[in-house]
Amino acid sequence: MRMRTMQAKPRPARASLSPEARERLRPCGLLLAALCIAIATVQPARATAQVDAATPTPDAEAAAAELAGLEPPPAGLDARNLAERALRALRSDTTYMSARMIVTSPRLTSDRVVAFESWDDLPGKRSLIRIQSPSKDRGTGFLKLTPNLWMYVPRVERTVRIPPSMMLQSWMGSDFTNDDLVNESSELDDYEHALLGVDRRLGEAGAHVLEYRPLERAAVVWGRIVAWLDAKTGTPLRQDFYDEDGERVRTMVFEDLRAQGGRHVPHRWQLTPLDKPGHRTVIEIDEFRFDVDIDEEIFTTRNLKKTG
Amino acid sequence: MAVATRLAWRNVWRNPRRTALSVAATVFAVVLVMLSVAMAAGVHEKMIEDAVRMASGHVAISGEGYREELTLEEFVPWDEEMAAAVDGIEGAEGAAPRISSFALASFADASRGVMVLGVDPVREPTVSDLPSRIAEGRWLEPASGPGRTHDPGARGRRSIVVGRRLADHLGVGLGDEVLLYGVAYTLETAYELFEVVGIMRLPDPRLERSLALIRLDDARDFYVYGDRASEIALRASSAAQARALRDAAAEAVAPLEAARGVRLEVLDYEALMPELVQLILIDDAGMYVLLAILVVVVGFGILNTILMAILERSHELGVILALGLPPARLFRMVYLESLLLAGVGLAIGLCVAIPVLAVLDGHVFLLGGDIAAASELFGMEPTLVFELKPMNPVGSAVTVFAVASMAALYPAWKASASSPVSAMRSL
Repeated sequence: MRMRTMQAKPRPARASLSPEARERLRPCGLLLAALCIAIATVQPARATAQVDAATPTPDAEAAAAELAGLEPPPAGLDARNLAERALRALRSDTTYMSARMIVTSPRLTSDRVVAFESWDDLPGKRSLIRIQSPSKDRGTGFLKLTPNLWMYVPRVERTVRIPPSMMLQSWMGSDFTNDDLVNESSELDDYEHALLGVDRRLGEAGAHVLEYRPLERAAVVWGRIVAWLDAKTGTPLRQDFYDEDGERVRTMVFEDLRAQGGRHVPHRWQLTPLDKPGHRTVIEIDEFRFDVDIDEEIFTTRNLKKTG
Repeated sequence: MAVATRLAWRNVWRNPRRTALSVAATVFAVVLVMLSVAMAAGVHEKMIEDAVRMASGHVAISGEGYREELTLEEFVPWDEEMAAAVDGIEGAEGAAPRISSFALASFADASRGVMVLGVDPVREPTVSDLPSRIAEGRWLEPASGPGRTHDPGARGRRSIVVGRRLADHLGVGLGDEVLLYGVAYTLETAYELFEVVGIMRLPDPRLERSLALIRLDDARDFYVYGDRASEIALRASSAAQARALRDAAAEAVAPLEAARGVRLEVLDYEALMPELVQLILIDDAGMYVLLAILVVVVGFGILNTILMAILERSHELGVILALGLPPARLFRMVYLESLLLAGVGLAIGLCVAIPVLAVLDGHVFLLGGDIAAASELFGMEPTLVFELKPMNPVGSAVTVFAVASMAALYPAWKASASSPVSAMRSL
């Protein structure tokens, strides 16, 4: 049956091509068929392997538009100096702080409040945080001895080194991460600084908008940070944190500026994660003490375990 | 027809050695194609089965968006009503709720971030094979029957099962107390000591380094999670039934979803593990390309054999044509020669491959050496499995025969189109 259709074919075809040409073309046809099979089998795999191309989100566009609308920066300003001034506005070499952290979340009917004290040694890259309340966490301590972060949990009497894999986990249930406790002091050395412009909407005399781009060698989790620094005092007013894909992921606003010993210190820091609607963490500082004497003994794991 | 077939058959065996070689090539190709396809089917099936047994089952019910964030924020209700609804799903061979989150595990001076999985000790074995992975110690014990025990005191001590590599990293053995420290659903800190009761070996080293199992009830207390779970894993009778089970599950939880005002997501393993599905697709594509090349080479082999035969017999063919045989019948005869050649090879190939595969079917071969190390790197067990599906011999036969019939065209045409005079003179 099949043969009948086959035998009819060769004859009419004969007139169109020379025998030599046809002879040369036959194997080509077979190869073509093989290629078709190959492509047909590869194609579906390729189609599903395709990844959605990144499209700019509304927030990314808003953030870019905001930065595009800045006034050009005045000449003669050194970006790194501004960064250093900003760091100094919030911290001295040795700083004591007593504060409350207020965590707001759609999960909670009432805000979670964590009270803590902290001792900070900026040049030594050391700090200690001691939780005072809630009662479940009373006495829990966090000791930073760069590059390590230690935690002591009095209820179970255990000292724990927080490993790198836990750095991006929430700190005490807030929107801050363990990394925020450790990485603060690298602001100057781990970033390249660029002055983007002046924003007239913030601060009395406007705000310098400074961009921090992490150096390649730096172990920084952010793609970049954009900070608004009060033009007069150098105090940070706002910081936007971008991830490595250029997406703005969180914003920190510094408010309640009070003059203290030549500084204008914000006493209310509000952190808003942009990818978690309804979540917010505010740190309200009750007391700031700059250039205090801190006993060396404070920054030891032995002291970490003293909870009295 | 009968005469042409008989003639063709005789012609095929005029040069037995050449024909035997050509047949052998076809047999080889058929056997190779069938073994490859059976191996791919078996290995892929095993990959899916392993992954499903290690992970979220064939189908998982979770809060909407859970897959992207993997946090406690998204949840699926888990109480008696939900359990009843899930147990009533048609085609579900097992259902197990899990609470999944991160915590810091610590013992003595060592610590590590771990993935904590709260599992129901009784339900878990119906879905995953985690319980059978215990290498040392025992599986989590249900406290008092399969139900939920609200009183932690009545439940006995908090117990934990950890991966071997995690245990080694922390330096813990059976009976040691590991501290888990994390953040509860209520954003308060969560910390408890858990006694190591079991140590498990897992095929995926990354998982073995980071997975810790605790009882669902303990996880509920630890994370202050109430009547919630991260996901409910369902098991189907086979991977092929996963989609049907997904639809049945979606239907079963829909009333609860509406009543509780929660948004749930019911996904099958293809959506849960798209990388796996793609890996299989790419693997299959690569194999089919190679097999296609092999079959085409066999086609050329047949073409070459018959073409040689034609060339040798060109004087004889010229005489036949001169005697008045219609070219169409000559075409048919030579065409048949090719098909017989392919047919014999195909028949022998099937006779060899089918019994071999029937014996291999379903057997699991353990691999060793470098291959074992390489497959462990991808989180797979170093095994080889063959599975003979009905489509395998049928598909192989049709493909080989189709390529052979295409390859047969050229020599047949060449023979029938030659002019008697030049053919007789050529040799």
